[in-house]
Amino acid sequence: MYKRLELHNHTNESDAVFTCKELTDFMVADQVDAFALTDHNTISGHCKIKNYLKEHPQPIDFIPGMEYTTYYGHILCLNLTEYVPWENINRHKPELLFRAARKKGALVGVAHPYSFGWPFAQGCRFEMTITDYSCCDFIEIFNNPEPLHEVNEKGVKLWENLVLSGEKLAATCGMDLHGDSTLHGHYSTYIQGEPHGDVCQELSDAIHNQCTWVCKGPLLEVHNDGEALTFTIHQTGKPGYEPLTGDDYKITLRTKDRVITCNVSDRIPLASFAEHAIIIPMLFEKETIIENLVCTSPVMHL
Amino acid sequence: MEEMKTIYQVEGKLCKDFIGQISYTVCLDQTYGELDIEFSFGPQHFRPEDVTPELKQRLLDYCKKEYGMEEGTPEEWEDAVYHGMKTEIHTMATLNDTFIGNIHRQLTTRHMHFTATEATEGCIPQSTIEGVLKVTILVFSVLLDNTNYLLTVRAR
Repeated sequence: MYKRLELHNHTNESDAVFTCKELTDFMVADQVDAFALTDHNTISGHCKIKNYLKEHPQPIDFIPGMEYTTYYGHILCLNLTEYVPWENINRHKPELLFRAARKKGALVGVAHPYSFGWPFAQGCRFEMTITDYSCCDFIEIFNNPEPLHEVNEKGVKLWENLVLSGEKLAATCGMDLHGDSTLHGHYSTYIQGEPHGDVCQELSDAIHNQCTWVCKGPLLEVHNDGEALTFTIHQTGKPGYEPLTGDDYKITLRTKDRVITCNVSDRIPLASFAEHAIIIPMLFEKETIIENLVCTSPVMHL
Repeated sequence: MEEMKTIYQVEGKLCKDFIGQISYTVCLDQTYGELDIEFSFGPQHFRPEDVTPELKQRLLDYCKKEYGMEEGTPEEWEDAVYHGMKTEIHTMATLNDTFIGNIHRQLTTRHMHFTATEATEGCIPQSTIEGVLKVTILVFSVLLDNTNYLLTVRAR
């Protein structure tokens, strides 16, 4: 099964409106399968949500996390159960913090890399120099409330360029939820999992295998039969999304040196790609422009 | 109930554009049941007289270069930039090198309050308050020279 995850959320434990209980109820009401708590520089809400779910069982899983809010950029940590000090952050060696968090079992990623920083909000833009991306697990390519072209499109490009140059980075997205904003019409992160599976482990496997979908509703599934790539669309039923017919979707397959555009019913021979090609499949509504992007699928390594 | 005892108090000044942290380590003299860390600072925003033509030009140039922002109306800039800019300071505490809380909310006066069963949002209740307390002031942005701050640690 596919699981819908909301991976970037805040409560009044840092600077948002919702209490931990309210955030949990909000996510349940929108049929989210699992959500992360990523308050700024605190893990104080973890116990509150765990206790609430223990006392009031609900059909949702919880992913402990935190958004390291540093002077030079925000770092999302998922599956983080223990606070890792960040104060000695070195903007030229953020890998030190990435590694320290990973050592505690966390998945580490760059949040909204192109948000506006100073003079609006010191630290919101990622201004650190990552030399070794092998200690980073993912890039938040869509921070839903941020402007499409000025912020998110640049995030997508950054991730694409890194992935196509061989970095093993997964794509995620998040609402960066600070209040009662609708999740409809926005991207969510999807992974594959089992009905009663351990979502933290499933997320870890998905991120490490670049097997995440960043999606508004329809998941693009790409199949490799050894000779060609074929495609299917799985409608997730994400609230607020109106599915189109198959013919109304367009697919792009981006590699380092070309972009193939095709339809869902097409069969693309593997011979169209270079040996060991890395492919980023994306699904669009009608036109292959970023405004119409509805799904970024897992990275393929031929 | 007995009054909370002031265990430590310090005041200081921050200079414009400082980024970094200042930590205060307090060796608690006994086991306490309640701890309160109060931090206040000011000013947080520019006063009208601080927004000089030179500052306006510097901000305009920066935002054009970094964010591709076209020049807005003076009113838009007034709202988006000069009023929005703030001195931003967070406070964090550890007890015996273990994280016990962080306040991200931009309150000019804030408390981090701990008992065995309750704590301020952002903080974690502490069953035993003893040992070495470290309070760190995390300074993200300082708009003006001579920005004052006051830190007080109380317990009972």
